Amino acid sequence: MRPFAFILLFALALRADEPKPAAPAVPAVKPDESHHVVRVNITNQNWDFMRPWGKRAPFSRRAVGPVLAGGRVLVTAELVANATYIELEMPDGSGKTPAQIEAVDYECNLAVLRGDDAKFLKAFQPLDFTEAKVGDTLNIWQLESTGVVLSTAGPLTTVEVTRYPNDDSSFLVYRSTASIQFRDSSFTLPAIKNGRLAGLVVRYDNQSNSAEIVPSPVIRHFLKDADKKPYEGFPRTGLLFSNTRDPQFRRYVGLNGNGGVYVTEVLKDSPASKAGLQPGDIILKLDGEPIDQDGNYVDPDYGKLALINLISTKHFVGDAVKFTIQRDGKLQELTVTLTHRDVESYVSEPYVIDRAPKFYIMGGLVLQELSRQFLKEFGNDWQKRAPQELVYLDRYQQDLFADGPKKIVILSRVLPMPSTLGYEELHQLRVTKINGVELQSLADVPGAIEKPENGLHKIEFDADPSVIYLDAASLRADEEALAKNYRLPATKRL
Amino acid sequence: MLRQLGVFSIAVVVLSGSALAQPSEIRKSVARISNTAEEPNYRIPWLPGAQGGGSGTGWVVGKDRLMTNAHVVSNAKFLTVEKEGDPRKYIAHVEHVAHDCDLALVKVDDARFFEGTKPFVIGGIPELESTVSVFGYPIGGERLSVTQGVVSRIDFRPYTHSTVDSHLTIQIDAAINPGNSGGPVIQNGKVVGVAFQGYSGDVAQNVGYMIPTPVIQHFIRDVKDGKYDRYVDLSVGTFPLFNPAQRKALGLPDDDRGVMVSSVLAAGSSAGALKVGDVILSIDTLPVTSDGMIELEGERVQMAEVAERKFVGDSVTVAIMRDRKPQTVEVKFANAFPFTMNANQYEQLPQFVLFGGLLFQPLTRNLVNAYRFTNPRVDYYFDYFIQREVYTKHPEIIVLSSILNDPINTYLGDFREGIVEKVNGAEIKTLRDLAAAFAKPAEFYVIDFVGAGRPLVLERAAVEAARERIKTSYNVTEEQFLGEPTPAS
Repeated sequence: MRPFAFILLFALALRADEPKPAAPAVPAVKPDESHHVVRVNITNQNWDFMRPWGKRAPFSRRAVGPVLAGGRVLVTAELVANATYIELEMPDGSGKTPAQIEAVDYECNLAVLRGDDAKFLKAFQPLDFTEAKVGDTLNIWQLESTGVVLSTAGPLTTVEVTRYPNDDSSFLVYRSTASIQFRDSSFTLPAIKNGRLAGLVVRYDNQSNSAEIVPSPVIRHFLKDADKKPYEGFPRTGLLFSNTRDPQFRRYVGLNGNGGVYVTEVLKDSPASKAGLQPGDIILKLDGEPIDQDGNYVDPDYGKLALINLISTKHFVGDAVKFTIQRDGKLQELTVTLTHRDVESYVSEPYVIDRAPKFYIMGGLVLQELSRQFLKEFGNDWQKRAPQELVYLDRYQQDLFADGPKKIVILSRVLPMPSTLGYEELHQLRVTKINGVELQSLADVPGAIEKPENGLHKIEFDADPSVIYLDAASLRADEEALAKNYRLPATKRL
Repeated sequence: MLRQLGVFSIAVVVLSGSALAQPSEIRKSVARISNTAEEPNYRIPWLPGAQGGGSGTGWVVGKDRLMTNAHVVSNAKFLTVEKEGDPRKYIAHVEHVAHDCDLALVKVDDARFFEGTKPFVIGGIPELESTVSVFGYPIGGERLSVTQGVVSRIDFRPYTHSTVDSHLTIQIDAAINPGNSGGPVIQNGKVVGVAFQGYSGDVAQNVGYMIPTPVIQHFIRDVKDGKYDRYVDLSVGTFPLFNPAQRKALGLPDDDRGVMVSSVLAAGSSAGALKVGDVILSIDTLPVTSDGMIELEGERVQMAEVAERKFVGDSVTVAIMRDRKPQTVEVKFANAFPFTMNANQYEQLPQFVLFGGLLFQPLTRNLVNAYRFTNPRVDYYFDYFIQREVYTKHPEIIVLSSILNDPINTYLGDFREGIVEKVNGAEIKTLRDLAAAFAKPAEFYVIDFVGAGRPLVLERAAVEAARERIKTSYNVTEEQFLGEPTPAS
């Protein structure tokens, strides 16, 4: 190690004699750039799913929002999730106006805002959209405290279809490599190509310097939807498929050509199911575009892309899409009329945002509906830390609950009261029946509680302890004391 | 060899000779047992695994036997024993091993080993706060070591060797360290326990556990017929009955009696005899309190202790309240609980079927430890195998555990960690079913996995063509091992 140390010192000494290298080029700033973007300040307050009667501590974040035509500002949906206060601020901090959400979609992760003061954005130049291709240079804009735009350039490295974080839906993304400074408390930033908006940065990884960008085709789709009232969202088909790369499998199913994907699952009541698609069908073409054995089509702009993009980005709710399939060796054409899948239609909802969690406290038994949002309260590694059976029910809900119930009611915890003596340690149990009423959702609880037998409530679980009883009279007697003792602002929300 | 012990302290203990009948005989009757073990190889199941082992302590019981812990002699390929004042190493072998209660009997063929030794007398349950001495060969020195402590508490506790069993356990505060395992705990010249597990010093101080004599006696009696049958149990879940509303609903007076049956395992001894919602009032005439305890030999212990003292073929009489009417049912212990995949397994060669380079293995704790699966369904099937009675549909969970890559299976990576449901339409309940399905000639072998919408398809011709190639390149010496013809009881 010694010689190495010597060389290092020597090299440093040499460096000192050398002329100083030029400071990194100051990003070129055009004087009018700041007239395209505005600061967005957001205060959020999330519901506490572990104590569903209350909220967690509020927190604030800042972002840079591109100004769009019509006096609107674009941000990511995750930034405004459970927002309590939003304001727009001049790039140099010289003025502010409160703002409201005009439309938000947590699946494509986009939201449009409108300032309360209609004149606030008068001096701004709305940004036009542009598409970008691999190899294009994107400029990611941040704001100095003076209001000057700090632009960081980086190449667009990848265009692909990937799963967005909030539910199971997949959309187009751009990925760019650029070394972005952490300035404000979020990476919601515009990505610009030649002075036009190519996308909105949603995530940035410091280690790989890689930025994930919601691209302009998805943004434009969202804005078109946002003009319609009520907001409908992105279309879905409700089918799952697998590749057909294995030649043995291709021979087994009688696939002669090169392409085609094998339908593995068609969700109940989904557009695909209504159109007559079945597991085992082989999708050869979609909208006339040939589908290869990995499930890709050739996009005129981006080359090979997953076929989901044909549905989610190119089509809207209500559109009819032609599927060319092979079934029992014969070609068929089916027309799928696309719909949006409402998040509340899931048994275990993938996200519960801007909606207060439902709960019902029965005596001291805290009853809630299972959702992935609830499971996520167990932390980043919730899939390992949350009760395993609940993770399993959430993950495989499509298979497990195709025939109901609508929601899974769980006893999440017990707030001990005299009437719950002996039940203190019960938690995270699935409740199947109350007083003999099979629970389809939490909404069935109040009705079921009206029917105690011999003055006793009977609560049944699908696992140990199977059944417990509560005294109906002491439940009523305890009600006030329960709220007072645990300082509950409410004992139910349905 | 002692489980959960990480921090080693050297205890200086002055041995008080007066408490022991004949110190020299006792000292000579405690042996060091050294084990050369072979770990099973679940990743390459046709090959032997790594060699390991360690040493523990044993003590003379009966004429020519040593008693020790199961974990001291697990997976033994070669055992030697040594004792104080004797320069020889004697070769020994395991006669009986009980992994569910961590005890084993070791036979030493050379009668000279027993010269100067005296079989220990097995005593009863020592009183709380009374003093006991632990004899053994723990780390920290070569010669026999003795430590002393008091009886801290008597409890029903998990036995970590199998991970799934719990039995009566006595906690003592004498220093117990790795190597003490299997050693006798002595009071008034009699064995009152076998040192077997403890806590690391990071977790708790001076907490050592010994196997008490009811468990030792149970083991000795069980093997009298020449084979070990394992513990029997009721296989029911119970829920304490503290809540007045619960008591009222079940038709019980406010007298602190009875626990509710909250689950009954379909494959357990109580299936058909007890039902969910029954209230157990007494077991073999011993009254059961509302927290599930009984009084046995002056101690308040868990109700399960009654079954703990039974053997295969025995039964218990359970007085219950069913639908508010008192009645009596008989629970017969026809066999120990048959599904043991959640327990650590020892002395068993890994079972597997290799077909087309696809390695199929039954899910066991050993397999889980070897692979660290990431498929949540496999986790669930393992963790809830008993509780959700997965065994009724899948007595064995057959997992595609790994793939020996070859042109015939190069597109099948997505199926790894899948659970086999059917082959060519036939349900696969055991590894033998799978082997039989692959043995049946067919053009295509169509393998359905649980929850996968697409089957895995292998062409018979391709499998045959690849067979020798895979065997040669991966050095496969055996293509399947289905276990012993009839599974051990």
